Amino acid sequence: MKTKLTLITIFAAMVFVIALFIGPKPISPFNLGEMGKDIIFSIRLPRVLVSILMGMALGASGAVLQGILRNPLADPYILGISSGAALAAAFGIITGLSLFGIVTIPLLAFIGALITGVFVGAMGWKRGGFWPDRLLLAGVGLGFLFSAMLMLLMSISSDEGLRRATLWIFGDLSIADWSIIPYGSVFIAAGLVVAMARAKALNALVLGDDLAHSLGFSPRKERFILFVSVGLMTAASVALGGMIGFIGLLIPHIGRFLVGSDNKVLIPVSAIGGGVLLCIADLIGKSIVSPMELPAGIITAILGAPYFLFLLRRKDVLSI
Amino acid sequence: MKARDKRYSNYFWKATAVLFLLFTLHPSLITSSYAEAPKRIISLSPSTTEILFAAGLGDNIVGVTTFCDHPEEAKLKPKIGGMSNPSLEAVITLKPDIVIMTTDGNPKEFEERLRSMNIKTYVFTARTMSQLPDGIRDIGRALNEENSFNTLASDIEKALGSYKARRQGISKKVLFMIWPEPLIVAGPGTAIDDAINLLGAANIADDAVIQYPKYSIEEVVRRSPDIIFVGKGSGMNMEETAGGLLKRISYIPAVKNNKVFYVGDGLYRLGPRVIEGLEELEGLLNKETKD
Repeated sequence: MKTKLTLITIFAAMVFVIALFIGPKPISPFNLGEMGKDIIFSIRLPRVLVSILMGMALGASGAVLQGILRNPLADPYILGISSGAALAAAFGIITGLSLFGIVTIPLLAFIGALITGVFVGAMGWKRGGFWPDRLLLAGVGLGFLFSAMLMLLMSISSDEGLRRATLWIFGDLSIADWSIIPYGSVFIAAGLVVAMARAKALNALVLGDDLAHSLGFSPRKERFILFVSVGLMTAASVALGGMIGFIGLLIPHIGRFLVGSDNKVLIPVSAIGGGVLLCIADLIGKSIVSPMELPAGIITAILGAPYFLFLLRRKDVLSI
Repeated sequence: MKARDKRYSNYFWKATAVLFLLFTLHPSLITSSYAEAPKRIISLSPSTTEILFAAGLGDNIVGVTTFCDHPEEAKLKPKIGGMSNPSLEAVITLKPDIVIMTTDGNPKEFEERLRSMNIKTYVFTARTMSQLPDGIRDIGRALNEENSFNTLASDIEKALGSYKARRQGISKKVLFMIWPEPLIVAGPGTAIDDAINLLGAANIADDAVIQYPKYSIEEVVRRSPDIIFVGKGSGMNMEETAGGLLKRISYIPAVKNNKVFYVGDGLYRLGPRVIEGLEELEGLLNKETKD
């Protein structure tokens, strides 16, 4: 296990360095030059950091959600959080709100995600606790409602606003900027720390509420804490760069295939895996048709889904 | 002659007479519909709307898209939906004599649908500035209003010609920003790219594959434009919207030397206002070359 973890960490570090120096056009780390320095520090570094932060948040929240909902198909977006964020952000983009300058759209997305999270939580709450199935259905229902409202907004907006909103919704890491990284990392780190601290409880929850109870955990309380951590991480991730599909759903399965289902290991591995995948995807997205760029979310799905299907054939990855 | 043969010969003459009538009537039918200019015109794109107004047919326009906001009168015309999703019902209800569409932005299926319902259509195919005058003349022909359209086309041709004659290598690298975040710029095949070339400068995004690509910020830094134009199309506060991005690339020549200019939307649509757009860019570029 230790070797595996070391290998994963080394691989992640390599990806980080490659993304920084290879990029759409390689820059020699030994001979940066004025322009190279500018490109690395003000464009590539914040972008790579944002992709890693977002990927970590999505990978880890996927692992936690699949655990608390006991559902292999759960991902951070199934709770409707992303639709709420997208709706709020699209509203801001299309109406041209710019109250808080550059952070307006990320802030709107974050608020939209949080409000949706609270909503889903309230609807999934009954008799002093969360009910996994209620949470799931509330999320799916709200997700549909918000998607429809988003479509409504997009169908009445101007072509220009539509294109911008679409690009943003599908994950636009090019807006990555130093100024939003501190906010994003605070929420993501907080969520991650909480999730890892409650990993043992999550292991127990996966076994069923009765067993969790007999192991000394309160399923209601644990589920609530973990739900809040997922909400924070997902909201921050969507706010940082839009909706990146696939990572939250499939990275935990790939993680389980690599290191097993102990959440103490699975959560950090899913986080690292998500970060690495999104970083690679963004690198490809901005390199293959340079000087144009493709949204990273499309690349994650095209890259990751076949690998997932391959795993599915080889081994039963659908168990939690 | 047998009775049966007689009957056949009867049929033959009757049929010939009918065919003759049809052939003589048919051209007259066409001329009758072409003789007068169409009274009720629907325009399905902002550029054709601007052309129609400039040629003096504003009063004949009975419907426009929601994006047709120029000239001011266009805003008062009944709306038939967007460019990519016009409402067939709204178009039919307005009983147009002709619907003017463009290849850029209007769905081809919509045109087929209109034709299948016997509604006359004309598709404007001009995409570049040099194609614009002939495109305008073609609309004139389709509307049987050749004089006013020919005059408009000649005016534009003359203006473009004078720019061509004055053209000089300015050796300035230019970036035209349509939107800052995500960064969308004017690429090849746009009136903006035509304008930059016509003025003798170089568009740094002219090797992109599509007209309005989402552009890499890294590439902007690498190609370091001398001048950045920011379009103020949507009536928003672009100074503020573009502020964040410009701060991030504050070390490139255009930003460092204060060569970022906010320009109007004259070049956004391939119509008569491209000349205004050209003038505006020329004024700014000339000032820069003199400095």
